[in-house]
Amino acid sequence: MLFNIESAVIIGASRDEGKVGNVILRNMKASFRGRLYIVHPSADEILGVKCYKEIELLPETPDLGIVSLPPAKTVETIEKLGHKGVKLAVAVSGGFGEKGEEGKSLERRISEISKLYGIRVIGPNSVGLLIPALGINTALTDPSKTVFPKVGKISFISQSGALGLLNMDKYASDGLGFSSFISLGNSADIKEVDALELLKEDESTRSFSLYLENISNMERFLSVSKEISKRKGIVVLKGGLSESGSRATSLHTGSLFKPSYSLKGIFRQHGIIMANNEEELIDASVAISYSRPLKGKNIAVITSAGGVGVIASDILESNGFKVPKIREEDAARLQSYFSPLGSPYNPIDITAEATDDQYINTMDALDKLDYIDGVVVFTLYQTYNVTHNLVGRIKERIRNYSKPYVFGYIGGNFSREIYMKMLENEIPVFPNISRTVWALRVLYERGSYLRRFEK
Amino acid sequence: MILPEFEVKNILRRYKLSLPYGKVIKSAKEYDGNYPVVLKVNSKKILHKTEAGAVVLDIKTPEELDRKIQDLSQKFPGEELYVEEMEPRGIEVIVGLVNDLSTGKVMMLGIGGFYAELIKDVTFKKLPIDKYDAEDMIDELKYGSIFNGYRNLKCNKDILKELLLKISNMGMEMDFQQIDFNPIFLYEDRYVIIDSKMVI
Repeated sequence: MLFNIESAVIIGASRDEGKVGNVILRNMKASFRGRLYIVHPSADEILGVKCYKEIELLPETPDLGIVSLPPAKTVETIEKLGHKGVKLAVAVSGGFGEKGEEGKSLERRISEISKLYGIRVIGPNSVGLLIPALGINTALTDPSKTVFPKVGKISFISQSGALGLLNMDKYASDGLGFSSFISLGNSADIKEVDALELLKEDESTRSFSLYLENISNMERFLSVSKEISKRKGIVVLKGGLSESGSRATSLHTGSLFKPSYSLKGIFRQHGIIMANNEEELIDASVAISYSRPLKGKNIAVITSAGGVGVIASDILESNGFKVPKIREEDAARLQSYFSPLGSPYNPIDITAEATDDQYINTMDALDKLDYIDGVVVFTLYQTYNVTHNLVGRIKERIRNYSKPYVFGYIGGNFSREIYMKMLENEIPVFPNISRTVWALRVLYERGSYLRRFEK
Repeated sequence: MILPEFEVKNILRRYKLSLPYGKVIKSAKEYDGNYPVVLKVNSKKILHKTEAGAVVLDIKTPEELDRKIQDLSQKFPGEELYVEEMEPRGIEVIVGLVNDLSTGKVMMLGIGGFYAELIKDVTFKKLPIDKYDAEDMIDELKYGSIFNGYRNLKCNKDILKELLLKISNMGMEMDFQQIDFNPIFLYEDRYVIIDSKMVI
């Protein structure tokens, strides 16, 4: 339903800059690859898009309806869209359940209309549906102030529209692509678990990032997640971990059952990785989408700067990883690849004289060591001999390695440019040491979960 | 409703869970197990017995047992008394079940003993669990390495894993609000559930 949208209609489009109905129109017009229509009571065209007076007068039944009208009008319009046979609508306006009983009853009406006509509804109060492969972009952020993502492998589902759009702006600016973004809004019809169900067969999505405050039906959410997490990553940042909700009695187990820490083990049991903040939420999906599961805790660290290797090893070990010493026979071979001033023992320091070849040779050699489970490489671009070409060579190499590799960097504008290029090339790269180690933790959790399906 | 200890133990026996040998008695001559023993009040009213002074530990002879029976009968008139073999100290673990309104039946594993609620080293899984979940539960505890044995106390993780699976089966079959198994003593070659409480 989400991935074969070839035509869309906007109801509530506006000619006036600064109005929501204008921003959405501009965003859709700028990127949508299908046929775009407007239903408007008086205009003939807005920004060059043809307008029709009524939904019934449209030349075809559009696949998507985007409704940006006041609450009561929104409900009326969704009913008309449903009647016309439209299968999916995005309701943009707020002023529903969050405003009291009247709004809640309008939301219930949306849910009834959805069941009656078989039209699925995202929202109300949805700040955006983005499907970059189709050019769908109903975001209500100003295109001159926001970077919208390219096509990628991560689906981002958010119960907070702002947290979603802002975080996506940040990562899209870094060059990260997304397969979809859904701002669920008030979830009158499509709830978090429905969004997962709609996207579970989507081949382009390798990992889901979900920001959730309420889980509408925990048992169903867990079982759908378990089904999906065999094949794709699911990462959740859970906001509002309340301390109520369980039945109060005087037994120990009851008093210890608190969502804030009890959910973690239960999520893990269903293949869901719990993030602690908005960065971990997306970083985890980057790691899962672009790298592979980690099956043990022995990590090799490659750097061209001793201190980075030392701190990385410390952070790795405080996170339960080991940084085992490279054996003499292997160390001798590694040493032959780079400066005699470097260290081949782990952390492996290939020194500031590092070249592209030295990085690649060292990476190649580590993939063959059976006492190493994963490799973290700090590609530090400030040194003299490292070139842009390293990005392409890394991309080609990691595809064929047997172990998971993740990459980190520390640096300013020049390094950031290369970092963006790496992300665009779907290399699992992170802009500091801690985030790089988090990526490894995620890959280890993924590997540890998937062990139950190995024969 | 809180079930009295003796009824709880009957349920556990039905699920073939290992408990200290014990019985309801009126005098020491009715008891045919080993010494030392523990004497407890078998009450529907008292949930936390130790705090209420309704438990006497480490009774070494039948004569001492008779004296303590008299003491407790005076203190808690009309209540049944239950005597059981006192088990040697083991690695202590707490296991619990909660039937949560939104998540359903959930199992907890935690580091047990007197400080259990202070250190709150616990993890939860939804029922039923499988052997991987049992493994994960032990891994997820901060001090889970205690189940490899600690100082002079030996322990066996496989016995704990099997026990978790058994409790999971029991939880799936019966109706309850909450169940505590606290403490469970773990040894090198066996486990025993020292105390357990049930709210159904």
